[in-house]
Amino acid sequence: MVVYNFKKMAPVPAADDFIDIVLTRTQRKTPTVVHPGYNINRIRQFYMRKVKFTQETLSERLGQIIMDFPRLDDIHPFYADLLNILYDRDHYKLALGQINMAKKLMEALSRDYVRLLKYGDSLYRCKQLKRAALGRMMTLLKRQKASLSYLEEVRKHLARLPALDPNTRTLLLTGFPNVGKSSFMNKVTRANVDVQPYAFTTKSLYVGHMDYRYLRWQVVDTPGILDHALEERNTIEMQAVTALAHLQCCVLFMIDISEQCGYPIAEQLRLFESIKPLFANKQLIIVANKTDVLPFDQVREPDRTNILAAAAGVNVELMFMSNVSEEGVMAVKTAACDKLLQARVDARLAGKKVGEVMNRLTVAMPTPRDARARGASIPDSVLAARAAAKNGAGSNAQMSDDDSSAQQPAAAARLTEKERMWLNGGPGVYNCDYRKYYDLASDDWKFDKIPEIMDGKNVADYVDAEIDARLALLEREEDQLQAEAAAAAAAAGDESDVDEETRALAGEIRARKRLARVASRDNRSRNSAVMPRATAGARARTVGAVTAALGAAGVPTEGVAARGRKRGRSLSRGDGSAGGDSMDVDTAEPGAKRRADGSLAPRARSRSAAAGSRSASRAPREEGLKDDAMAAKARRVMKKGQTQMNRRAQAGESDRKYGPRLDKHMLAGKMGKGTRRSR
Amino acid sequence: MAIRAQFENSNEVGVFSKLTNSYALCSTGGSENFYSVFEAELADHIPVVHTSIANCRFVGRVTVGNKRGLMVPNTTTDQELQHLRNALPDKVVIQRVEERLSALGNCIVTNDHVALVHTDLDRETEDLVSDVLGVEVFRQTIAGNALVGSYAVITNQGGMVHPRTSIEDIEELSSLLQIPLVAGTVNRGSDVLGAGLVANDWTAFCGLDTTSTEISVIESIFKLQDQGPANIVNSMRSSLIDSLT
Repeated sequence: MVVYNFKKMAPVPAADDFIDIVLTRTQRKTPTVVHPGYNINRIRQFYMRKVKFTQETLSERLGQIIMDFPRLDDIHPFYADLLNILYDRDHYKLALGQINMAKKLMEALSRDYVRLLKYGDSLYRCKQLKRAALGRMMTLLKRQKASLSYLEEVRKHLARLPALDPNTRTLLLTGFPNVGKSSFMNKVTRANVDVQPYAFTTKSLYVGHMDYRYLRWQVVDTPGILDHALEERNTIEMQAVTALAHLQCCVLFMIDISEQCGYPIAEQLRLFESIKPLFANKQLIIVANKTDVLPFDQVREPDRTNILAAAAGVNVELMFMSNVSEEGVMAVKTAACDKLLQARVDARLAGKKVGEVMNRLTVAMPTPRDARARGASIPDSVLAARAAAKNGAGSNAQMSDDDSSAQQPAAAARLTEKERMWLNGGPGVYNCDYRKYYDLASDDWKFDKIPEIMDGKNVADYVDAEIDARLALLEREEDQLQAEAAAAAAAAGDESDVDEETRALAGEIRARKRLARVASRDNRSRNSAVMPRATAGARARTVGAVTAALGAAGVPTEGVAARGRKRGRSLSRGDGSAGGDSMDVDTAEPGAKRRADGSLAPRARSRSAAAGSRSASRAPREEGLKDDAMAAKARRVMKKGQTQMNRRAQAGESDRKYGPRLDKHMLAGKMGKGTRRSR
Repeated sequence: MAIRAQFENSNEVGVFSKLTNSYALCSTGGSENFYSVFEAELADHIPVVHTSIANCRFVGRVTVGNKRGLMVPNTTTDQELQHLRNALPDKVVIQRVEERLSALGNCIVTNDHVALVHTDLDRETEDLVSDVLGVEVFRQTIAGNALVGSYAVITNQGGMVHPRTSIEDIEELSSLLQIPLVAGTVNRGSDVLGAGLVANDWTAFCGLDTTSTEISVIESIFKLQDQGPANIVNSMRSSLIDSLT
C-alpha cells in the first residue's frame, strides 16, 4: 500500500539562490588556480571540468525536484484531483515540464561547450568559453524563475496537507456549512478543529483519528458545500467534493434540523439529492443534528416527511444527535463504524485473501485425549489481588463521594528497582545487589562471601546438597566390605596348604625384591645421566662386589679375584711398561684401555694413564665405532653417499643458504602504469 | 493483562526474559527499566530474578522451565547456577543439561503439563525434560519449523503458534497440548512469537510494537481478561479480517 507523505520534499530554491548555490559549489569543489607552467592540455581540462561540474550540479538539483514532486498520473486519483483543484493540474505539469526542459538544454549546452573547449588554443580563450558556458546555463536557470517559485509554493502547501490515507477505514463528514461537522469531529477524535459560528470556518480537509474495535479509524472533516452546480463551486467546496468522490468511506451527511445554520431544511435536502450520485457504493448515514434545539418530532411537516423520504433509500440510515448535549454522538459513531466495517468485511470475504488468514480467525479447541485434568496454576495471591481490584473498583464507584481512606491498597507500594536506580544515581551508576532477593533458609546467609576457587579447586565442583548422606552411605558400604573380607580370611585361614619352608622362602624373596626396589630408586634419584651398562656396569663391578654377588648366588668364589687380575695384567703388559702400578689398583682401568682408540699414539695413552684422572677422548665422529676398521668403513660409506651430490655440484640439505637480497620496491606492486615522476 | 515492554530498544522481550507460573527470569542490562516492568507486575506473587546465562543476556532463548523446574544449558557458569539456586524457591528443580542444541528455549516449548520439543533433541534431554519439568513430551514441528520454542508460546490456559500454521496442524497441536490454540503474530506482524512474547497463566509481556489487535488476541487466547478465546471468533472477527487482509 502506498503511503503518501509529501512532507519529505526538499525545498526548491528561488532562481537567484539557485544560481548562487550552483556557482559556489563549482567554486568550492573544483580547482581554482591555473599555474603559469601548465601546458594547454591541462588548461583545457581545467575549464572543461568546471563546465561539466556545473552542469552536473544543475542536473542533479533539477532532477531531484522533478523526482520529488508527485506525478499526477501515478498517485491515487483522490490526490491527483486534489492537486488539480488546489494547484491547477496544467500549471503544475507545465512547471515541471519546463524544469525538465531546462535540464535537457543545459546538458546539451554543456556538451557543446566542452567540445569547443577541446579546440581552445590559449588560456584566455578557454576561460572565455567557460564563462560563456556558465553564463548561458545561469540564464537558462534564471528563465525558470516563475516555475521555481510556483513549485516552492506548491511544496509548502503540499507539506501541510493532512496525512490522509485514501484506502483505510474512513468516516467522511459532509453537509451544508455550519451544520456541526467540525463539532462532531472534535467530539469523536482529538483533532481539535476550529469551530466558529459562521459559515466556511473549515476551509480545507482535516483528518482526525480514533480507535474503535481495536482498529484505527480516520475521520475526515470537509468544508461545507452549498447547493449549486458543479461548475460554480469554488476551490474550498471542490475539496469536499473530491474527497466524497474518491474515498472509500462511510459518509455522514449532516442536516441541521434547527435551521440555525441559516439554510432551510428544504435546501439541505436539495443538496443531498444533487450530490447523491457521489454516494454510490458508499455507506451513508443521514444525521439530523442539533436535536437539543429542536427535537425531530417538532420539525415542520413537509420537511419531516421529506427527511424521512430521503432516508428511505437502500443502504441509508437516519440518526439523530446533538453535539451540545452529546446525545446520540457515540451512537452515530458506532453505527457508522459498524456499517463500514461490515461492508469492508463482506468485500474481503468475497475475495480470495481471507482463506490465507483463516487460521488466525479460528480457535482450535482441544478434544480431550485422557481423563487427566490440566488446569491452570494461578497463585492465590494473584486471585486475591484480582478480586480486591474488582471489589475496589466496584466500591469506589459506589461511594465516590465518600472520603474513603479505607480503600487504600493493602500493602504500601513497593519501591521498584527502577525507582531505586533513579534515587541512587541513575542507570550506569546504580548497581543492584541481586543477593538481597535470595530465597534462603536464613536471611543472615544472603550476603555470605563464598569463594569461587579455593586451594586451586573449583568450589562448585564440591558443592552437593546431599554430601552428608552420600558420605554416610559410602562409609557404611566400606565397613560392610571390610567385615566381609575379614570373615572370608578367617574362614580361609584353616585350609592353607602352604608349608612353613615355602612361606619362609617367599618372605625372603619379598625382602630381596624390596631391597632391589630401594637400590633402583637410589640409582635413579641420583640425578645423573643414564650410562650404558657396558660403561657404568664395568666401573661399578669391582672385584669385591663380584665376589660377593657370586657368593650370594652360591657359586664358588675362589680364584675369581685372581682371574680378574691376571687378565688385566696381561692386557696392560701389551700396552707398555709405564704405569704398571696403577693397573693393580683398579680393575676398571683395563676395561677402559681395551676399548681405547687404536689410532692414538701409545705415548699419549700412557700419559693419560699416568695422569690418572683424565679419560681418553675420541674423535667425535667415531664414537660408538668398535675399531679402526669399522671407522674406516663408516667413512667409506659416508663418502659414497655424497658422491652423487658432489658430482652434480648440488647443494645438500646441510649447506648454508643465502637468499637473494631484494628491496621492497622491487617486489610490492604499488606502481601504476603512469610515470615515475613521483620518484 | 498483556503488558508492552522493551529491552534496551529491542522489542524481543522473549529473548531477554523467561516467565513461568512460579518464577520469572530477566536478563541483566544497563538499567533496571526492563526488570522493573516485570517487578511491578509480578514481584508480589513470584520471584523475579536478574540473571545471565553463560555471561550472555539472551536468558529467555537458552532456558526452558515451568512451575516445577528450570533447565539451563551446559554453558551456564557455576556462579550463575548457584545464583539461580539461591534466588529460586527450593521446590523449583534446576538442572544443567548437556545438550548439543543448547538454545533450549528455542527447541522446547512447555507449560506445566505438556512439552513440545525439537525433533533432533537428544533422547537423554527428552527424558530430563519429562523428569525435571514433570510433563509429557512430544517431538513436533510448527508450520514446518523444528524450533518449536521460537514459533509457539503456550501456557496452561491457551497457546499461540506461528501465523502460517495450517488449521489441521493447529487442531492436532491443540489436542496434543490440550489447550485452545490460535495462529497469531506479535510486534506488528512478527512471526517469532517466542521472541516477542512471554506469558504465564495470569499475565503476559509483549514487545512495544505490538498492535492493539494483536494484544487483544493475546489477551483472549491466554485468558488474561474476562473474555475467553471465543472472543477471537465472535466479537473480534471483523476487526481481524479488516486488519489482516
